[in-house]
Amino acid sequence: MISLQNLTKRFGSQTAVDALSLEIPAGQIVGFLGPNGAGKSTTLKMLTGILAPTSGTATICGFDLLKDTIEVKRRVGFVPESGAVFESLTGLEYLEMVAALYAIPSEAARARIRQFIAFFDLSFETLTDKLLGAYSKGMRRKVVITAALLHNPPVVFFDEPLDGLDANAAVGFKALIQTLAREGKTIVYSSHILDVVERVCDRVVIIDKGRLLLDGRPDELVASHASGTLEKLFTQLTGGTELEQRAQDFAKTFRP
Amino acid sequence: MLFNKEESDILLHRPVTPRVLLWAKIGVLVRVSLWLAGAFNLAGFFAGIGASDGGWLFPPAHVISTVLEALFCAGSVVVVYQLCLRWFGRERLDGLMTMAQVIVAIVAVLAGQIPQLIGRFNGHLNFNFHSWWVCLLPPAWFAGLDDLIAGSRSGPSAILAVAGITATAAILWLAFEKLARDYESGLQSLGEAAAPKRPRGERRRWLATLAGRPPLRWWLRDPVARASFLLVAAYLFRDRDVKLRVYPGLAPMLVWPVILLFQTHGPGKTDGFSGLSGFSIAFSGIYIGIIPMLALDLLRYSQQWQAADLFRVVPMNGPGPLCDGARRAVLCVLTLPVAGALALLAWQIGSANSLLPLLLPGIIALPVYAMLACIGGRAVPLSLPTEEAKPVGRGATMVAVMLLSGLLALVATLSWNFGWFKWLLPAEVVLAAGLYLLMRASVGAARWTSPE
Repeated sequence: MISLQNLTKRFGSQTAVDALSLEIPAGQIVGFLGPNGAGKSTTLKMLTGILAPTSGTATICGFDLLKDTIEVKRRVGFVPESGAVFESLTGLEYLEMVAALYAIPSEAARARIRQFIAFFDLSFETLTDKLLGAYSKGMRRKVVITAALLHNPPVVFFDEPLDGLDANAAVGFKALIQTLAREGKTIVYSSHILDVVERVCDRVVIIDKGRLLLDGRPDELVASHASGTLEKLFTQLTGGTELEQRAQDFAKTFRP
Repeated sequence: MLFNKEESDILLHRPVTPRVLLWAKIGVLVRVSLWLAGAFNLAGFFAGIGASDGGWLFPPAHVISTVLEALFCAGSVVVVYQLCLRWFGRERLDGLMTMAQVIVAIVAVLAGQIPQLIGRFNGHLNFNFHSWWVCLLPPAWFAGLDDLIAGSRSGPSAILAVAGITATAAILWLAFEKLARDYESGLQSLGEAAAPKRPRGERRRWLATLAGRPPLRWWLRDPVARASFLLVAAYLFRDRDVKLRVYPGLAPMLVWPVILLFQTHGPGKTDGFSGLSGFSIAFSGIYIGIIPMLALDLLRYSQQWQAADLFRVVPMNGPGPLCDGARRAVLCVLTLPVAGALALLAWQIGSANSLLPLLLPGIIALPVYAMLACIGGRAVPLSLPTEEAKPVGRGATMVAVMLLSGLLALVATLSWNFGWFKWLLPAEVVLAAGLYLLMRASVGAARWTSPE
């Protein structure tokens, strides 16, 4: 479903993504992990057409990212890390705008929006009466997730999707992506909340400095590295050594 | 500066009371006022020494009065905000202040033209320093203080000086003591999102309703252009950041056509040939054409620019339809009302009616000017950070556009005077249509460029 072939992105002399190659079949939930600045968001931005790769390419649903960009975009949904929305629109106006950009007829869009707000426990009045700037962070995130799924894409990229969601919404969201994956959608899930990734994802890809470090099932990776948890494996791989000792030493400096 | 939304998150949980914060802000306001006052009064400090009733006491006296005036101005700003907060509440403060700032920008441009307009109507600016109403003007109070310390030391000067000192003390007391509690509560409620008192949904839907009915429905058949139209129109009506950038930026464009039209009116301005009148009317028409161009440029910037990443994710070959919708919104929301008001004004003024066809060259050029801002798909609305808005670069472009516009107005005026205006119009229509179609094709063919 998704295939990356030597995908590379350079910003001047800095290489953000370095010849990344991956194959992701349909119906899989892939945890896309890496420390800050590893190149996760840049990779997702390239795969969604926001940034142009410096070299290499990718195919999504059989369409080449560079040659059939529009066909790729039709098949992709994206929840960006920023969660930015146009705050002077109401939630409904924003979602109707997104529907128009995907050429979804307004009646179909309205029906779909109603399904989403029912799922996310939002009231239709909130959606029509309040400007997005007055929404809580969690509510705004729900609107962004709805916007990403409105056109029913077979491939969805989530960049820190749980940011701001309350516990109930987060549980509901995790169940939602698992159901979507069972129905054949491919989910790429980038997050720093590793226990959620460990529980939800079928596969984990860890990158650092733009390069692939590890790729496999979370339980198998944890077992093969004898690390106990995905979190410990992640810190081992990405240079986060002696973090607990350093934290204890630092905390001691606060003693009166 | 007084009410910053992020401030409550950053500062209010720290051991800083709102009153301390208020004092700190007032300190900055006063310092800025002093810098400005110092700059404007620099020559005055020395000129006062040489004045017939001046002397060595003038500079220190003027320093005292300038400081007092700066305190009075800074305190007045704070008091006005606090009174608005008390009377209208936090919810409406932003809207009111935005409107006030826009009106101030327009009035500032207009006020600069009042003396010459009065002169044009054969009026006289007879400014009598002994009129009773002069005592109501704050600058007179502080000038009175100067005169009391270093000048004539007359009785009226003493009264004015006392008025200045009393008013400054009263304003500072109101700002820092009496109304400070309103500031505290206003600051604390900044982060609160109060539920709307009455349903606003239907009120907010009027834009979509309008766009869904003829003639806008016919004009906005493309769903992407329609979405962009609604986005831009909503921001022009609702978004404080956009309103504060767009309307004051457009103020000269809104005011100058009116001033130029008034210049065609008045004694001595008769029908028939009048070089300056004709040029003024032609130029005011071209000013209307520049409005969409400048507005589209200003509308590219937003504090929520990251949300515009969405435009690059959706299946669109390029930014053309977005630019198209933004252009139509600006034409509909800003340009048409201004053009209508100007036409009404011109009709009301009446005396230059025979010269009104000279507005046509500007109106014919309007679609070209509007399209000019969209070249290369540049006019994607709200897609750039506000920090990138560079007035210097825009100023250079505007100078070039104004020179070109002046040339067009000159050609129109000359053609009017030499009797070949009737040939100029069709020629301009053909040229404008050609340019418009070429630019439209170019905008349609524009592809996304990498945002790096």
